[in-house]
Amino acid sequence: MKKVVLIKYGELSTKKDNINFFLTKLKENVLYALKDLDVTVDYDLGRMFINTNDNHEEVVSRVTKIFGIHEINICYIIDSIDFDDVSKEVLKLLKDKEFKTFKIETKRSNKKINSTSIELSRKMGGVILKNISDIKVDVNNPEILVNIEYRNNNTLVYFEKIKGLGGYPVGTLGKGLLMLSGGIDSPVAGYLACKRGVKLEAIYFESPPHTSIEAKNKVIALARKLTSYNGEINLHIINFTEIQEAIYKNIPHEYLITIMRRMMYRISAIIASNRNSKILINGESIGQVASQTLTSMSAINEVVKIPVIRPLACFDKLDIIDIAKNIDTYETSILPFEDCCTIFVPKHPVINPDKKRCSEYETLIPYEELIYQAIKNHEILKINTKEKHEFEDLL
Amino acid sequence: MIYLDYSATTPVGFEVLDTYNRTSKDFFGNPNSLHELGVKAKNLMNSATKQIAEIFNVQDSEITYTSGATQSNNLALLGVALQNYKKGKHIIVSKLEHPSIYAICDYLASIGYEISYVKNDNEGLIDFEDLKSLIRPDTILVSFCAVNSETGVRQPLKMIRQIIKKENPNTIIHSDMTQAVGKVSVNLHDVDLATFTGHKIYGPKGIGVLYKSCSINVIPILYGSGKSNMLNPGTPALPLIVSLSKAVRLATTDLEKRERFIERLNLKIVDALSKYEGIMINKTKYSIPHILNISLRNIKAETFLHALEEYEIYVSSNTACSSGDLSSSVLAIYDDKVRASSTLRISLSHLTTTDEVNKFIEYFIQVYKRLSGLNSNI
Repeated sequence: MKKVVLIKYGELSTKKDNINFFLTKLKENVLYALKDLDVTVDYDLGRMFINTNDNHEEVVSRVTKIFGIHEINICYIIDSIDFDDVSKEVLKLLKDKEFKTFKIETKRSNKKINSTSIELSRKMGGVILKNISDIKVDVNNPEILVNIEYRNNNTLVYFEKIKGLGGYPVGTLGKGLLMLSGGIDSPVAGYLACKRGVKLEAIYFESPPHTSIEAKNKVIALARKLTSYNGEINLHIINFTEIQEAIYKNIPHEYLITIMRRMMYRISAIIASNRNSKILINGESIGQVASQTLTSMSAINEVVKIPVIRPLACFDKLDIIDIAKNIDTYETSILPFEDCCTIFVPKHPVINPDKKRCSEYETLIPYEELIYQAIKNHEILKINTKEKHEFEDLL
Repeated sequence: MIYLDYSATTPVGFEVLDTYNRTSKDFFGNPNSLHELGVKAKNLMNSATKQIAEIFNVQDSEITYTSGATQSNNLALLGVALQNYKKGKHIIVSKLEHPSIYAICDYLASIGYEISYVKNDNEGLIDFEDLKSLIRPDTILVSFCAVNSETGVRQPLKMIRQIIKKENPNTIIHSDMTQAVGKVSVNLHDVDLATFTGHKIYGPKGIGVLYKSCSINVIPILYGSGKSNMLNPGTPALPLIVSLSKAVRLATTDLEKRERFIERLNLKIVDALSKYEGIMINKTKYSIPHILNISLRNIKAETFLHALEEYEIYVSSNTACSSGDLSSSVLAIYDDKVRASSTLRISLSHLTTTDEVNKFIEYFIQVYKRLSGLNSNI
């Protein structure tokens, strides 16, 4: 009998011809998340198995953060489909457990076995009742659920079912560029896009000296949180100071934010195209602030052709916060450092910006040249799951 | 030199001192400054705090740095008392606390708080029944040390917590863990507030920690500037903080292995000394092996201590903080004034060698025979 971690796929089972592509990617992602552990991975069209010597708990805790997985179990593989062999092993497994009530659930993908699943469950229940005293069957609310799957060459036994994150394996749907500010929303937007199989890169706009190193470090910390779902993230850091100052000096202040967002979109679209990202992703939510009214979104969006995905468009702030807390970005997001969206904020930003006016105002600054320079000089950071221990030698 | 007074203080670890020096030199910026040097210093401080928090499985924000155990105890007891005076003024402590706890309690008593002293059994364990009967609706705080500094008796804090919280869920629990951290494993979640200090775990002197669970509030006893450390304001002592973090990491590695080794040394001494009628071993089944307390019949502990000193052997009489009087802990456990009047504390470390212990036993017996007037041939 071998103890493994068993993975059941999520929505993947609806894929037909290209399911192998999804599964290869999933295997790749699993191996990446476990790369410092001694594991091997096997899979077939229905199940994936992670073989490890003694790190089952750790494997489970990491695998619960991988998209494309519906359920995770610590599973025992019995190299037999003979009922007597299986029941012997099941009894062994149950000996170590304390319980008063149980239920058997049987699956039989091997149709050559003559008994039906229900018959097999009953028979196994009988054996258990005979061999372990003071327990009874409870089909509604059992303390232990014994899952048994008879397959072609072997049988799987597992107890607790751990819910996976669902979604598609990251990378199966191509790349997207996440506009990552230091706020609460954008990391959540990234997480949700990631869940649908999009591999993230991220872009951040900084305005030194108006914004601090701490604001940048905060964004790096947020990107690092996302790596537990996405794997390594390339973070593009754009120095936005000149553009922002030019806007501030030359453009009517009520349009500051609108024009600034248009510039950010333009830059993001160019970076996305350079990096083969198919979409832009951001944390905009309808109506949340002046730049997120429908008129504003339309006036801002018109400067790019690339699809802009707004996973949070229809989320309430409190729901966003709940997800942020779940994915552990909230505490970082609320650290109080100014980013470039919070400096130079006009008292009364325009709520219904006029597209024509936007274009007119923009002729007042040499934005094409400024954007060219900003992109030419931009910094790319590779953010890894594990924080480089900067102070390791001191601590 | 044979140093057997590790529970009074410890030598600073070589690597810890190295951290202290390099931090002082390379990270002199004020962590509260906004510029790059300040940010660098603050990042280092945050990493140091994170390491401590991870080791004890608590949140970074639950760690407050203080100047040492005495300040941590003051902040805990005064802070809780001031925060909760409207809810009640009743505080319970044991008879096995460090003198600094009693000093704070005396002050609190002088300003209208009521202090109860819970009984313990003759193994040194808190008397659960007495504890239950003492807890009242206005009991705001219970403070028990995790390990008694004189006899090494360790309290089952988890059980104590269950008893207290059952009687009064609002009662806050503080534990002085100064003698426990770095010697045995501790669980900060057993308490709401915990004290420990750097210099008992091969860290520098002048730095300690108060763990404060985020679920409770205490009133600061010091006021000043600095957003990051509301409970102990002022410029953070970065070199001390970073070296403390390193000391905590080093001291909590291989705890069990070290404990087993120290247990062997402890038993060796107990075996050798218990042969003598005039020596009583003040060890109960709850004593940790790092602290070994003995009583000498007919010999003044201080005389004995100075006699050992001639051989460059260093031990304590009572604790370094309370020398002179009766040992309150030995008295509390054995209820025997003679036994409590002349006690020596031998405290061991993983740095202690078997050879040192052998020599200690040899000289100890020589001194004992000389001072007790026994013929060395007996």
